[in-house]
Order: sequence, then C-alpha cells, then structure tokens
Amino acid sequence: MVRVAMQLLVQTVIDGLLVGGLYVAISIGFSLAFGVLDVVDFAVGEWVMLGAFAGVASQAWLGIDPIAFLPAVFVIFALIGLLVAPLIYRVRTSRYARPALMALAFTFGIAMFARGVMLTSVGFDPRTVETHLVGGTMMIGGIHIPWLRLAGFIFAIVSTALFMGFLFFTRTGLAVRATAQNKRNASLMGIDVKRLSGLVYAIYAGLTAMAGVLIGAIYSFTAQVGPQYSLLAFFVVVMAGLGSVGGVLVAGLFLGMLQALVTVYVGADYTLAIVFGVLFLILLVSPQGVLRRGLAA
Amino acid sequence: MMVQEVKPKRSAALSALSLIVIIAFLATLPLWTDDYWVRIWTGVAMWAGLAASWNIIGGYAGYISFGQVAFFGIGAYATAILMQPGLDWNFFLTLPVGAVVAGVFALIVGWPTLRLRGAYFAIATWALAEALTQIVNTVDFTGGSFGLSTPGNAETGFFYYAMLIASAAIYLIVFLLLERSRFGYKVKAVRDNEAAAQSLGINTTSVKLQAFVLSAALPAVLGGIDAYWITFINPQSVLAGDITDQMVVMSLVGGLGHLWGPAIGATVLYLSSTWLNAHFGSSTGYIAMIGALLALIVLFLPDGLVGFLPRARNMRLVRQMLRLPERPAGAAGPSADTSGDRP
Repeated sequence: MVRVAMQLLVQTVIDGLLVGGLYVAISIGFSLAFGVLDVVDFAVGEWVMLGAFAGVASQAWLGIDPIAFLPAVFVIFALIGLLVAPLIYRVRTSRYARPALMALAFTFGIAMFARGVMLTSVGFDPRTVETHLVGGTMMIGGIHIPWLRLAGFIFAIVSTALFMGFLFFTRTGLAVRATAQNKRNASLMGIDVKRLSGLVYAIYAGLTAMAGVLIGAIYSFTAQVGPQYSLLAFFVVVMAGLGSVGGVLVAGLFLGMLQALVTVYVGADYTLAIVFGVLFLILLVSPQGVLRRGLAA
Repeated sequence: MMVQEVKPKRSAALSALSLIVIIAFLATLPLWTDDYWVRIWTGVAMWAGLAASWNIIGGYAGYISFGQVAFFGIGAYATAILMQPGLDWNFFLTLPVGAVVAGVFALIVGWPTLRLRGAYFAIATWALAEALTQIVNTVDFTGGSFGLSTPGNAETGFFYYAMLIASAAIYLIVFLLLERSRFGYKVKAVRDNEAAAQSLGINTTSVKLQAFVLSAALPAVLGGIDAYWITFINPQSVLAGDITDQMVVMSLVGGLGHLWGPAIGATVLYLSSTWLNAHFGSSTGYIAMIGALLALIVLFLPDGLVGFLPRARNMRLVRQMLRLPERPAGAAGPSADTSGDRP
C-alpha cells in the first residue's frame, strides 16, 4: 500500500518536472524580453498557440513531421518577432505618459488580434500536433515516462542551456545583460538598444513558438488557449522575479510540479485556482520573486 | 501649472446644448423605437458604464487592470444568488450587496499589488479574474459551469432605464469625485508623478486603493442588472476575459482619463460590433478587430477619439500627462540625466 502511494508520488513529481521544463522554455525568453524591452508581453501565450498551429500546418500542408519542422518554426517566428519588436519599442520609448503601460496595452492588442484571427480561421475545435518521430512510453522501476514528454523536457533543457550560453559567453549576450540592467548606461557604452531588443524579441518569439509545437503535441489545444499559457509564463516570471533568468529555471520546474501534485491529489478542477492563489501569495509576501533578484517596485 | 483655459461662452453653450440633446435622446428612446434598438442601447449604456468605471483605475489613476470582469461577475452572481427561490430578495436590494462584496474583494487584491509597479498590478488582477472563473466553475452555490437563472422579467423598457440610470449615476460619481473634488486631483497627481505626489503628503497607496475599490464596486451594480436582464448567467457569459478586454479597449478608443472617452468608445464599438454580428454573424472577427484597433490606437492615436473633438487640443490627455523619469530600482540615483553638464 505504502509502496503504491510512493510510486504515485514519484510518478507525479516526475510528470510535473517534465512539464515544468516546457514552462521554463516558454518563460525564459519572455523574462529576458521583459528585461531588455521593459515591457510585459501579454502575447506570450499566443506565441505558444501560434507555434502549435504551425506544427499542425506543417503536418497537414507540407507533410513534414512537426518535430523535424522545429528549426523552421524558430526561423518563421523569429522573423515575425523582428517585425513586431520595433513597434513595441516605438511605443515603449514614446513621449506619452506611462509608456510601459501603453506598451502593455499594445501587446494585449496584438494578443487579441492573433487570437481573433485564429478563432475566425480555424474555429473552436480542439486539436493536437501529431508526430511519428517520437512515441511510446519508457518504463523505469514502475514509473511511466512517455518519450514525447521526455523529448519536450530535453528540448527545454537544451534550448535553455544554449540560451544561457549565448547570454553568458558571447559579447552580444553581455550586451543583452547590460541592457537589461540599465538601458541608459548600456547605450552610452555604444550598444544599439533598439537593434538589441529586436534581436531578443525575435529569439524569444522563436523559442516560445518551438515550445508551443511540443506543448501542442503533448496536450490538445484550441485557438483560445493563449491566455492560459500567458498566465503560466507570468506565474513563472513573477515567482522568479521579473527579469531574473536564473530564477526562471527553479520557478518553471516548481510550477510543473505544483500543477501535477494538485491535479493528482486535489482535483484537476482546482489546478488553476490553486496556482493563481499561490501566485497571489508570492506577490503578497515576496514581490521581488522567490530568489529576490527581480526588478520590482 | 494648472493653467485654466478661458473658454469662450459660445462653446460652453454648445456643449450644454449637446448634453441636453443627448439626454433627451436617451431618455425618450423607448417611446419612438422598437424593442430591438432599445436592447442595443441598453447594451451601449451598460458598456459605457463599465468602461467609465475601468477608466477610474486605468485612465485617472494610471494603473491598468486586466481583471475588472471579476467585479462585474461578482455583482452578477450576487444578484442571481440572492434572487434564487428560497431567498427571493428584492432585485434592487441585491445591487448594493454586489457592490460591497466587489469592493471588499478589490480591497484584498489591491492592498498588496497597488504598492508595486503597474505590470504586477496588471498581472495580479488578471490572475484574480482567471482564478475566480475557475472557482465559480467548480463550486456548487454558483451552479458551476452550468450557471444560474434569475426570475424572468420580459420588460425591455425596465432594463433600459435601469441600465441607463445606473450608468448615468456612475458618470455622475466619476464627474463629481474625479473631475470636481480634491480626491480627483490626488488621483491624477499619483498618475502623473507618484513620487512627487508622495512628497506633497498624499498617501499614494491609500488614494490608489480608493480609486481601485471605486472602479470595482461600480461595475458590480451593472453586473447585477445584467444578470437580471439576461435571466441566465454562467462563467462564460459574465466572467469571460473578453469583458475586461472590451472595457480596456473602449476606454482607450474613446480617450483614456477623459470623462467622455469611455462613453464615446462604448457607443462606437458596441454599435459596430452589433453591426458586424448582424451582417457577418461572427463574433470571433470582432475579437480580431478590437485587438487590431487597440494596437493601432496605442500607436497612432493615444488620446483616443476625443482627440477629434474641437476643444480637445487644450485638454490634458495622455499626450500631456507628465512623463515619469522611469528607472529600474537597481539603477543609480537621480543624476542619470547629464545632458546639461557639458562644459
């Protein structure tokens, strides 16, 4: 009896960690885009949703397996990001009062536009991304690990590692971190903040859309799913502290685990309510994030 | 600093005249049109009131809330629950209850989050609204995802006047409290420069909190009327995120922080959405449309449609609000601007 209970607990924790990896993948670029552009991008969940639909389209129209199509998804969405970023930058640096909030409203508008267009063109039917490259389940000591989820986790770890490598071992990464810390001083050092924020936004959009393909392969989704993933990304980033990249790793895995534990032990209906309750408590107790390295207040 | 424009008498007379025409139009509407148009104008009245209440926190106080639908929904559910058979409350008595519950909720949410930067407030209010939808979907006394029905009442005119009077009252409250009182100046001072307002002895957290509670209690009343009007409510109809989206977009399209902005935005957008629905039968296209409109307004017309009014050039709108010297908490002191220090 105890053994079965233990097995369930281990299974739940592992499931949660595997999903948490994907949350890290959608939040890490988002966190950095916040750091560089100083704008909370409400469209983050829509990049996930659009990425998932790109996966469906690659299978249906091109006959390419979505997993093999991932690099192309990255390129496509990075290009879209390059088009959107200058507009956000323009609003953010405009002469209006509260440019940060106007920019927030702007990304909110983009998110609604993307959602409305997708709902109009594909409707409300739930879909999944079908892949044949990865399937089946691995068994280790009575614990089920679906290969697809493992692949998603590995993707998340690899892309996060690449991203961190870019941030900490290249000159451009140094410029990104400097800009996230202080825009004025960074531009005095000769950094083209506008170009750099375009680059960061492009990487972020591409990364998030790739994560969207994998999320779409694991869970079914509709065109309405965007706000839900936006909120999960917000949860991760707020818990990590807005702008803190290291905290995102901890917070993303924690969120995955929390969600899995609540689903198994409390009930699936309560997941979002409890997740948001925890988010609210975090804001209440420690607004600078759990690692206290964010840029709050 | 507050240079008051000396308005020509003619334009004061003109605005008084247009106000009288509008009031006469709205007050007599059910007498000369059919039920269809009365229902549409009931919707216009409701949205004008909702957008005006959002404008208190979003436009006057400068804190963008993405969870205002929660308070609309609380009002709707308060009315629906209290009117259930067994309780049988009088409809008019349920409205203040909803307003009080919504106000208390706003107090609980606003107290921690309004101390923080605007982005946290936006996220926290959004999270609150989503969490509330989830809770209402699961618990029993709200009827879960199935919803609740209220006792039917077929009088279109009753709801039109109820909604119109409620919205007009909201407008009067906004006008008196935010355009004609010390409180209004405090709220605008917090929006324009929070640090300066604080240094002048304004308790900024308390002022923001009062503005937020006000902008939460008012939509709850409209939610109550709406619940009685549509006779059947569920989380999808009164707690949908789209409702907040519309409040935000209508205020922005009309004119942020301007008394008449929300009413203009609500009228234009609600009528065009009805037109779109009637001609294309699609409500998803409307989501795309208002999304694009929101983005375009922010980019090209941040003052909103009131910017086109003839006297608007002298109004203190978004473009003329004082720009905050923004810097992250980690940055160095106030000496960041050194442009004038060159020898």
